[in-house]
Amino acid sequence: MQRPMEPRADDHWDAGEMGCGELVIELRARLRALAPRRVLRLVALDPGAREDIPAWCGLTGHALVLAAHPVYHIRRKEN
Amino acid sequence: MGRFCVSLTSAKDNRDKATVAFVVANAAAGSEQETMVFLSTEAVRLAVPGYADDIREEGFAPLAELMAKFTAAGGKVYVCSPCFKKRGLDETKLVAGATIVGGAKLVEFLAGGSPCVSY
Repeated sequence: MQRPMEPRADDHWDAGEMGCGELVIELRARLRALAPRRVLRLVALDPGAREDIPAWCGLTGHALVLAAHPVYHIRRKEN
Repeated sequence: MGRFCVSLTSAKDNRDKATVAFVVANAAAGSEQETMVFLSTEAVRLAVPGYADDIREEGFAPLAELMAKFTAAGGKVYVCSPCFKKRGLDETKLVAGATIVGGAKLVEFLAGGSPCVSY
């Protein structure tokens, strides 16, 4: 369920305890399935996500618009 | 797009290393890096269809699933030719995404400016 203060997201994925490579390879597929500029709300409970999600966004060019572990909002890049 | 290499030398002799190598490879491929896993010595057995099916480390996805996701994301698996031949394996039967290569192909990939992590 979306928190009251959270901005709107277009899609949602609860990754549960998934982490590391298993998390980001699935995250890649989910972002690719979104239209440009759409926002994915991710819930990632793995403690490594705090560092990994910002790093992943930096590598891929998708924008991290909210990071409030375990909730992340990621806006898909143009292409 | 950057490049990234994962070098792996273990298979069922060290299931933990074999699994973590492909988890990291998935992290690289999932981060939009042109990623190659180089299988040499004992690890070449992972290129044989069905071999990895019973490698399931606690806390990780099954290895065969990790390998399938890696190649589906565009990751490449290079298999050391002399290591494969030494073990009498059938080079006509390889898992999807795997290619038998010699050392020159590895050198070409790394000489182009790729970091490499080894397991």
